[in-house]
Amino acid sequence: MWPSLQRWWGVILILTAVSATVWLAASQQLVLYIHPRYVVFTVVMAVIALVLGVLSVAVRPSTDDEATPSRGWSRIAGGAALVVSGLIALSLVIVPPTTLSSATASQRDIVGSTVGSDSQNVDEVASADAELLASFTVVDWSSLLRQTSDPSFYANKTANVVGFITASEDDPNDMFYLSRFTVTCCAVDAQPTGVAVYAPDWQNEFEVDAWVEITGSFATNPSSRSELPLALIPTTMITVERPSEPYLY
Amino acid sequence: MTSTVKARVDDHDHDHRHDHRPRRSRNRWLWLTIGTVGVAGILALRAFTGELDSLGDPGLVTDLLTLATSVIIESLPFVVLGIALSIVVQAWLPDDLLMRYLPQQPTLRRAAISLFGIALPVCECGNVPLARGLVLKGFTVPESMTFLLAAPIINPITIITTHQAFGFDDGILVGRILGGLAIANIVGWLFSLHPQPQALLTGRFASQCAAGSHGSAPSRSEKSLDIFMRESSVLMPAVFIGSLIAGAIQVAVPRDVLVSLGSNPLWSILAMMLLAFVISVCSSVDAFFILPFASTFMPGSIVTFLVFGPIIDIKMLAIMRTTFTARVLAQLSLVVGLMSAFIGLVINYVA
Repeated sequence: MWPSLQRWWGVILILTAVSATVWLAASQQLVLYIHPRYVVFTVVMAVIALVLGVLSVAVRPSTDDEATPSRGWSRIAGGAALVVSGLIALSLVIVPPTTLSSATASQRDIVGSTVGSDSQNVDEVASADAELLASFTVVDWSSLLRQTSDPSFYANKTANVVGFITASEDDPNDMFYLSRFTVTCCAVDAQPTGVAVYAPDWQNEFEVDAWVEITGSFATNPSSRSELPLALIPTTMITVERPSEPYLY
Repeated sequence: MTSTVKARVDDHDHDHRHDHRPRRSRNRWLWLTIGTVGVAGILALRAFTGELDSLGDPGLVTDLLTLATSVIIESLPFVVLGIALSIVVQAWLPDDLLMRYLPQQPTLRRAAISLFGIALPVCECGNVPLARGLVLKGFTVPESMTFLLAAPIINPITIITTHQAFGFDDGILVGRILGGLAIANIVGWLFSLHPQPQALLTGRFASQCAAGSHGSAPSRSEKSLDIFMRESSVLMPAVFIGSLIAGAIQVAVPRDVLVSLGSNPLWSILAMMLLAFVISVCSSVDAFFILPFASTFMPGSIVTFLVFGPIIDIKMLAIMRTTFTARVLAQLSLVVGLMSAFIGLVINYVA
């Protein structure tokens, strides 16, 4: 029983992992974990592994391995590896897929983030029309905010942005960060970016990690406890569904 | 036609295997059904649980699982590709094909082997099964180690992605390629000084090498599936556990601690090595990962990240432990760490 379980464990693990991958791809949620440019490659390799795995179950190749009976610590370590990897495989199948949360966003230094710092240029945006401005993401706005904190630049420019709420450490009652993760390869390297939002007593209506859509404009930050010069002052703020592509690229 | 078939059957004076054929092939259909139903069951369970609400509040625990899952999903295709290439090398290529054209002189031989990777689009996780396949094919342990260290850095995908990310700026691409080749050849030379190279291998893998391919000779396709089973049994637990540890450390160590060390020539190199060790992304994509840090860190430190990361990181140590002893991995980490730090320092001070 033991040697044959060990022999088959890898096939069981790989079949579980690729089944989970194939399901994520079919339900279009693979982008929660990897950059879209790797989706096709990942699915192709997953299907190959699926075929090889099922075929090896069918054929049950004979082996001339005399399984060396392991003893003592190495047996315990082998057993532990079996159990831990099995639990991880189980989590791949039963835990509902989700995005990274604000806990990781604040741990990865949302304020000092330099992601996409050159995504927009102040001189080019100065005369941008409303339609272009409406397409700006939090990364675009935070890139502008890093370049200029002159309030007159932002006057008459309406922002319409979607993101999730990360609490502000400086002024938790009246401010939060509207944030998004930017992914270059996979969720492992996700880097948070956010714009500060001034919304007094926001916690009465909204929760941390909730996805919201805000329309408003940037103005001098009214908060006395925060050192940020500018903040987004919402005119409307509504809860929305998580976007199907929650990360920016 | 008939006579040929008859002659072949007559040739067969050991047809004991054939006695089992009818039963075996009937069983194959049964087990094919079992395998298919099993996969369908997993997919059905996944589809059911996928609709449920997330477990509890989002927080560091769910993020840990998301990160670990992300490492697994990102590295899995490369592991599969590596196993597939290992199958090709072990079961389908003629035994002496790779050996035939290699120089005899050990240093030149290792130099040639370190260039193999140019033709193989596999990152580091896929290279372990391939390097194991090369040892089984008759390469010495130091030779396959040279291959293992060089291939992730000079493989075509890595070169293309590094070029896309950095172009030829600051010698980052050139530094990465030359640095990787130098480290691979020097480490190969160091380990070739070992009196008993087989002692570098774990007991389990060494006995697999000693067993070789004697005994019953199954068909090539059966042998291929056997290799698939073996390699996945060895590698998958390592990939899973390595991913979990990598995720846990990412949740535990604040990123800004590392970034704040960025502008000092020496500290930024150490910070980059630590980051590479923790982050455990594949070499074919790590250039995109490090690109946003390029403005914060010095170019030599970026090269250190790009040279050290593909060889030594948490996930790789877990995977390489399937093949090499812990002592070898400790020596390897030390040598590679020192050399990549040295390369980074030179570039930091020169560039």
